[in-house]
Amino acid sequence: MSDPSSINGGSIVAMAGKDCVAIACDMRLGMQALTVSNDFPKIFQYNNSFIGLTGLGTDVTTLSEVFRYKVNMYNLREERDIEPETFANLVSTTLYEKRFGPYFVGPVVAGINSKSGKPYICGFDLIGCINFAKDFVVGGTSSHQLFGMCESLWEPDLEPEDLFETISQALMNAQDRDALSGWGGIVYVITKDKIVKRLLKTRQD
Amino acid sequence: MDVILGITTEKEVIVITSRAAVRGVSILKTDDDKTRVVAPHTLLAYTGEAGDTVQFAEYIQANIQLHEMRNTTELSPPAITSFIRTQLATSLRSRKPYNVNVLVAGFDTATDKPELNWIDYLASRVKVPYAAHGYAAYYTLSLLDRWHRTDLTLAEGLEVADMCIAELKKRLPIDFKGVEIKVVDKDGVRTEKVTE
Amino acid sequence: MVGFSFDNYQRNQFLTAKGYPVPTATATGTTIVGCRFDGGVVIAADTRATEGDIVADKNCEKLHRMSPSIWCAGAGTAADCEFVTQLISSTLELHSMSTGRAPRVVTCLTLLKQHLFKYQGHIGAYLIVAGTDPTGPKLFSIHAHGSTDVGYYLSLGSGSMAAMATLESKWKKSMTKQEAMELCAEAIEAGIWNDLGSGSNVDMCVMEVDKPAVLYRNYRTPNERSTKEKSYVFARGTTAYMSERVRPTVKPLAYDIFEETVSSTGGGESMEIDG
Repeated sequence: MSDPSSINGGSIVAMAGKDCVAIACDMRLGMQALTVSNDFPKIFQYNNSFIGLTGLGTDVTTLSEVFRYKVNMYNLREERDIEPETFANLVSTTLYEKRFGPYFVGPVVAGINSKSGKPYICGFDLIGCINFAKDFVVGGTSSHQLFGMCESLWEPDLEPEDLFETISQALMNAQDRDALSGWGGIVYVITKDKIVKRLLKTRQD
Repeated sequence: MDVILGITTEKEVIVITSRAAVRGVSILKTDDDKTRVVAPHTLLAYTGEAGDTVQFAEYIQANIQLHEMRNTTELSPPAITSFIRTQLATSLRSRKPYNVNVLVAGFDTATDKPELNWIDYLASRVKVPYAAHGYAAYYTLSLLDRWHRTDLTLAEGLEVADMCIAELKKRLPIDFKGVEIKVVDKDGVRTEKVTE
Repeated sequence: MVGFSFDNYQRNQFLTAKGYPVPTATATGTTIVGCRFDGGVVIAADTRATEGDIVADKNCEKLHRMSPSIWCAGAGTAADCEFVTQLISSTLELHSMSTGRAPRVVTCLTLLKQHLFKYQGHIGAYLIVAGTDPTGPKLFSIHAHGSTDVGYYLSLGSGSMAAMATLESKWKKSMTKQEAMELCAEAIEAGIWNDLGSGSNVDMCVMEVDKPAVLYRNYRTPNERSTKEKSYVFARGTTAYMSERVRPTVKPLAYDIFEETVSSTGGGESMEIDG
């Protein structure tokens, strides 16, 4: 209950579909059992790569700023956008640099490779070990529930609209069984040429 | 047991801070001001470990003022908040971190909107419509959940504030010796009311 | 590697002092084995990654390429295995470019053990190193503190006992390649079935003298998931949402060339670039 990664609460899930990916998060930020805010999004966009950061609130903000800096430097140096695969390795090495004093986060990356058009999702542990997945990745205080939801709801080759329903229902039903997550939700559905962001109507308890 | 409370209304932010300075079981002072004006349109309210609080607030105040003198421009509330958070996050990674929780109340003259930010000693930051630190949060957030609207007028906002203060007077076991109510709006920071 | 940053270390000590326990990283409960045969060596691993008692990845890769003919199987902290392996692999590549020779397995072993010894066990990588070089096929294991072993057959990880039971009962001297591959697969399966930290599939890598190493990803898949009998897709429009924002994906900026200058480096001689 009182380990750093579950003080503030929050959850993330990403799924791959047919030529599309989706990433979703809850909106809560709390201090143990007290909810401080229901407007704390945990997904950040860098070029066409998306990262969901759960865990200790301060590290979520700090890392989102670190990645913004690093991706901006990459853009200036390379004069091109960062691909999701490259961004995932950037996240991994950034976290592993702090192997003996880690950031208390559980990141999830999603995006579509601009060259190949292939969907890409992956997850990490707090010291940067990448978990490559074909289907879905989860993170945060309701990760147990999310694993169960995704394992039963997900199926291959979902169209963007179906992927939206699947990821939204997986997230909402998982966070309803977690006291530390919920209070709203944001879903991004990413296709090769379009990013749809939706604010979910969820329970507020 | 300090009370610090922030409420945004349509055109301003109301900041309420208790006047008692408490050390252990003794009340040392009954006219304590737990705020610092860091910029013309930004007020910093703080609570936490004695010594750390004022040291940190005045460090922030001095640096923001220095920045203002060097660049002859006023920093916006979100910029100031971002600076404060970074300072706390850096401090958290030092040998002796600051144990300070703050509220940053500001009026953004660029967007013409009031803004309230909540930051704790771990440097978790979030923009909120209303916020409190410490035990006061447990008593007042439910009231604010019920009565707060984004289109509150100043008078209505002060009415909600009075409800919160009455509740705190009733429930908190130690007398906090009244409050200072400050308002941040397009004209800057002013003290609206001081109660006993 | 430039080095680790200890920036957060004191903060985390401070958090620990406040009573917050430090979360543990993905420690891969694992079964890995290695076995020599006439003219080569084979290593194998299971593919389960765990975080505490949940299965984080059902088909992860625990076989790491150190050089074209040297491979490593890793157990212990997943991130440590991944990064120590990447680091030494690049050192090895630089070393072989500088010497103009293919790297030797003992070189790889020494580089790994010296690095791990330096960190006194804090880098939690437990490795089986195998490969072929001009001195023949080689098989070693390394523990996180830097100690190393040599053997004809080895096993490591939480499923090492189950795997070793198989190896001890069925290993024999001078096996054929096929015999060694089946023995390793069987040893990993012993881990998959009898060790809770190991599961899913068998990955394998065969390294023969004077032949390129061959990776058999998912050599055995004894735990394939059957297809769902029913689709659980929700009808479109089930989920209520309050707002929607549609944006095109960020298109890279088109750079226009306003001016281009091409100049000679002079004298017709090639410029010295690596002086």
